[in-house]
Amino acid sequence: MTDTPVIRTRGLSKRYRGTDALVDLDLEVAPGEVVGYLGPNGAGKTTTIRLLLGLIRPTSGTAQLFGLDSLQDAVAVHRRLAYVSGEPALWPNLTGAEVLHLLGQVQGSVDLVYRDDLVDRFALDPSKKVRAYSKGNRQKVVLIAALASRPDLLILDEPTAGLDPLMAHEFRSCVLEAKGRGQTVFLSSHLLSEVEALCDQVGVLRDGRLIEMGTLAAMRHLSAVTVEVSFDGDAPDLSAVDGVLSATANGRHASLQVRGSMDPLLQVLAGSHVRQLRSRDPSLDELFLTLYGDVGATSPRAG
Amino acid sequence: MATVAGVGASPTGRAPGSVVLRRTARRTIRSGALWGFVFGAVVISSAWSYSGIYRTQAQRTALATAFGSNRTTIALFGPAPHLDTVAGFTVFKTLLTLTLVGAVWGLLTATRMLRGEEDTGRWELLVTGATTRGRAAGQCLVGLVTGVAALGAVTALLLVVAGRSSRVAIAPGAGLFFALSLSAGALMFTAVGALTSQLAPTRRQAAGYAGAFLGVSYALRLVADSGTGLHWLVWCTPLGWVEELRPLTTPRWLPFVPILIFVVVVGTVTVGLAAARDIGSSTLPDRDRAEPRLRLLGGQVGLSVRLVRPTLVAWAAGLVITGLVFGLVAEGAGRSLAGSSVRDVFARLGASGSGASAYLGVTFLIEAVLLAFTAATQVTAARSEELEGRLDPLLSRAVTRLAWLTGRLAVAVVALAAGATLAGLAMLAGTVAGGAHLGAGTIVGAGLNTLTPALCVLGVGVLAFGIAPRSAAPVVYTVVAWSILVDVVGGIGGIDHWLADTSVFHQMAPAPSVPPNWQAMGWMLATGIAAAVVGCAAFVRRDLQDA
Repeated sequence: MTDTPVIRTRGLSKRYRGTDALVDLDLEVAPGEVVGYLGPNGAGKTTTIRLLLGLIRPTSGTAQLFGLDSLQDAVAVHRRLAYVSGEPALWPNLTGAEVLHLLGQVQGSVDLVYRDDLVDRFALDPSKKVRAYSKGNRQKVVLIAALASRPDLLILDEPTAGLDPLMAHEFRSCVLEAKGRGQTVFLSSHLLSEVEALCDQVGVLRDGRLIEMGTLAAMRHLSAVTVEVSFDGDAPDLSAVDGVLSATANGRHASLQVRGSMDPLLQVLAGSHVRQLRSRDPSLDELFLTLYGDVGATSPRAG
Repeated sequence: MATVAGVGASPTGRAPGSVVLRRTARRTIRSGALWGFVFGAVVISSAWSYSGIYRTQAQRTALATAFGSNRTTIALFGPAPHLDTVAGFTVFKTLLTLTLVGAVWGLLTATRMLRGEEDTGRWELLVTGATTRGRAAGQCLVGLVTGVAALGAVTALLLVVAGRSSRVAIAPGAGLFFALSLSAGALMFTAVGALTSQLAPTRRQAAGYAGAFLGVSYALRLVADSGTGLHWLVWCTPLGWVEELRPLTTPRWLPFVPILIFVVVVGTVTVGLAAARDIGSSTLPDRDRAEPRLRLLGGQVGLSVRLVRPTLVAWAAGLVITGLVFGLVAEGAGRSLAGSSVRDVFARLGASGSGASAYLGVTFLIEAVLLAFTAATQVTAARSEELEGRLDPLLSRAVTRLAWLTGRLAVAVVALAAGATLAGLAMLAGTVAGGAHLGAGTIVGAGLNTLTPALCVLGVGVLAFGIAPRSAAPVVYTVVAWSILVDVVGGIGGIDHWLADTSVFHQMAPAPSVPPNWQAMGWMLATGIAAAVVGCAAFVRRDLQDA
């Protein structure tokens, strides 16, 4: 039984009026894993999550959580998970404390000591009414409610969208604690750094299709690194160096795309008068371009 | 949101600075024109039915003697000096009633367009465009005034066109003045709603303050017209000014002076307050903090109770007040009815008895309409929970859709039953105090009789919510509005039987003047339950549809 995947989808698809929001998703998440779910806006991240939660119905395919059907056994499934939406909508006339109480009651299980601790850590003022909260504060209420129920599975949809860097950091340590306790985490995000800091596995979604699933390091390997070099004199021509995919020189400055080993480039640069050398990991966009070519890049979709 | 796209960018080539004005005007003109149509239709149908029913001068004089000096009806509906003429009867029957309807429309529209837009954050988007807070509020006011103008224009058009008929007989000039008088209440309370939108922190509170002001205005006018030597009070209330215009009978322009001064002053203060305060804040202090009240928050049913309680309490108060007032005047009205041919009108509405019980039969029809509207608000409230995304935190936890919707329905049914009972009890208290003796069981039973149409409306609303959620609000309000229209038109006469049967109010027997129609009640209840069951089943199977 312990081998039952926490999340398993088979051919999960959703079509809205002729547009494919999600196509044939086969996803498997093992217990205790922290999985990042990456993709640009409208890629189908939220659609996937709403399908997993049974809030919408698949056009075809199935989703199972803890080995149970996400639609038939929705309540049994929901008792073991907690969901944080990226656009939390709460009741404007209820205070933070009232919402936390209600959500705990509706969930059925809540660790009150941990909840009070989280309220302190996220510096939330629970006596305020929801309508007086900023978006970040509403997000904190939902996050605290979710974490305090200590669920087997946390489903987080862009949970740090409204949080300031300090609180985003606090959030990360909470997720790492959850991971330490063996909880499974499904984190949808478009922030590469967040996913990088937290996740073992990464799925990349584009135009409703899962185009890559694996570790981030393995994925990085596929992609080029951007290297920016400033010289004391004019920039030499570096386009012929091994591993350099493309090079553009602009006076004393050169910008390069490098894949694979850096060694040949460093050998060449050692002979030049380098003033400054900066290398940058591929951005999410660049990663996508590598993973997916240019296909679809010119057809932004809504949803 | 296509409407916001125009801010700043102005792809249409029109001045970007007037976007708030155009946006507000576009949204209020439509509903203003619709209500203008209703106003015109009500006035015309009143005049039409009067000249059809009271054909001879003798009949008209009888009516005038019966009602013209009845202190209670004058206090409630305003003076009735010329009841022996079509014009006098029409003004008595429609001026104050429609002014109240227009005032409620005005204050609800203004608070929705100002405080409501601010609550949802859309106002902020508009104000960060090429405008300032004060100017945006000013533009919104002008936009709202165009809505009122549309109301007046459509009313005027209908009155001028139908006035040519010999049975209505309203001269074009008089028709225009009447339309102007009927718009005055809407205009003043639009301004009041705009002002309270600056004062109060939420739309509900803004509408509440404006509604309270309307209540005080009505009460002052009631005292002024109750013959206690305080008639000068009529000049201290906006509703009194409208009354003093005396359209159709002895029209006077003078009261337009205080009306216009009132609108200009309130409008100026509104713009001043809007310019002086921060977006999202209110002039009166807001209570953003509260001690947690957890009693009801142990589950989703309790939450439903907590969420709908303020609305339901307000509706219940309305039902109780109308019940008390109508119960109080029932005996007097019934007595004046007994000897006159007004009974014919009531008979056409189905109230076949005589005296107080016939009168109460028609007034319970009004209670039934209020109750049906309450049912409609419960359907739209459920839909807005889904639309705003507040269902997600519940349904992603251990709450099934069926449990949520049936819980919500149970709360609505209990509240409606309580409302019907309260209406009956209030009517009973009123009749006892007013000296009409009809038997407690009969009156409370007549109150409960009004429950079936409301339950039918509720069921049909759930069906629409389950199958086509976006249509839930239009469908449920159309059912109520259609039923009123058919029943009123049917009451005036000349309507096909099968058409009349589509009205839930026509189906309801006007108890206590006649015994409840158990068969029709059974049908309505069965329809409501069947619709609700199908609606629930459809809701469980469909996607949630957020904004």
